[in-house]
Amino acid sequence: MKGGLQSMAPNAKRAFMTTVVLGVVAVAIYLLAVEPAIAALSRERTRLQELKDSQQRMTVDLNSAGTVQKTLEELEAEMKPFAAAELTPLLGSYAMRAKSLLDPMISGAGLSDVEFSEETSRKLPTPLPLPRQLYARAAVRITAKGSYQAIVSFLLMLEKNLPLVSLQSLQIQSQQQPAKQTVTMILEWPTKGALTRK
Amino acid sequence: MKSASVHLNLLKDTERLSSSPVRLRVMMPVVALFACLGMALWWAILFTQILMIRAEAQTIDEDVKAKSNAHAEAISRQDQVREMRQQLEQLTYYRNSVRALGKPLAKLAEVMPLKVQLTELSFAPPPFDPPPKPGQKVSPFAPLTNVETQRFVIAGRTTRETPVVALMESLESTNFVTLITRDKRVKSFRQDANAEKGKRRLLTFEVEYTMPERRFAK
Repeated sequence: MKGGLQSMAPNAKRAFMTTVVLGVVAVAIYLLAVEPAIAALSRERTRLQELKDSQQRMTVDLNSAGTVQKTLEELEAEMKPFAAAELTPLLGSYAMRAKSLLDPMISGAGLSDVEFSEETSRKLPTPLPLPRQLYARAAVRITAKGSYQAIVSFLLMLEKNLPLVSLQSLQIQSQQQPAKQTVTMILEWPTKGALTRK
Repeated sequence: MKSASVHLNLLKDTERLSSSPVRLRVMMPVVALFACLGMALWWAILFTQILMIRAEAQTIDEDVKAKSNAHAEAISRQDQVREMRQQLEQLTYYRNSVRALGKPLAKLAEVMPLKVQLTELSFAPPPFDPPPKPGQKVSPFAPLTNVETQRFVIAGRTTRETPVVALMESLESTNFVTLITRDKRVKSFRQDANAEKGKRRLLTFEVEYTMPERRFAK
């Protein structure tokens, strides 16, 4: 190749030129077609894998749908006693609802001069993760008059008929007449509380 | 006779052939051509793979779309199950804290000595959580503690100490384990200042018992 391209024989020059052109074409094919195709293939493979994962998750979820439905029914059954015991406001008042629930038991036990008033609700400890719907302890103060036996009889009836109602506080003060003791008690019910998210 | 030999080289440099059986000027374009063809073949293979993957992806995508409604429903049920489990857990904390005091209070009337007249039986509501200190991290949803301790107070009148001691001994029996613990404190035991003159000497007493912990837990 001494003397450069000019000094080459025509055949060699043609061969050299052909080689250069074909080399350029090869590089162009690599840069313009092969390399983008490699990138596209990688993207398509990723997308396919994502779709496969998604399909697999779906299949697993759909296969377990029967079990989930059964679990849901079991939990709903477990929830029923709580739903029945839950104190809901009547005309916007927990005291009114408590009165409507307790009046038959109060008169059955023989308590008189009964008054109901609403107390501040208290929070319940929260499980983790937090449920959307939280529950709280609704409290209602009841003051009444009656004998010690009537008070105890009311509490026994309460425990039998409303087993999820709890006695938060109690004060029995003796009076001149044993049948007219003053009782003040705060009863607690489970009730729907705050929402942790919308 | 010496003859002078003359060596004539009539070939130009460019006309000189290589002694190698493989001619570079033939092989170079051939190699370059193969490189081109190789690149084209590589591209063709890649393109075919892309088409195959796209076809497979489309099939899966159609399947995913077809199942999406049923899947959304299944996911919604799973969410319901999770939510209900958590709600039930919190309600279980409440249920485990419920105490039945009717029976021990009924029993109390049975063990009350004749010489004792009760003036008060009480347990006050537990205090509310104090307001958080500045910078203190407090959950807006939960109380500070899951345990409540209250004190059960028995106050009354008597003529002598022994009936009160008998009452306290009776209260230590198993009938009252849900009402009180053995942790007690005699808050007062003194002469009744309100007793009318001329009447029998009366003593007042006030005994405070720690109640069993009310635990809001599983």
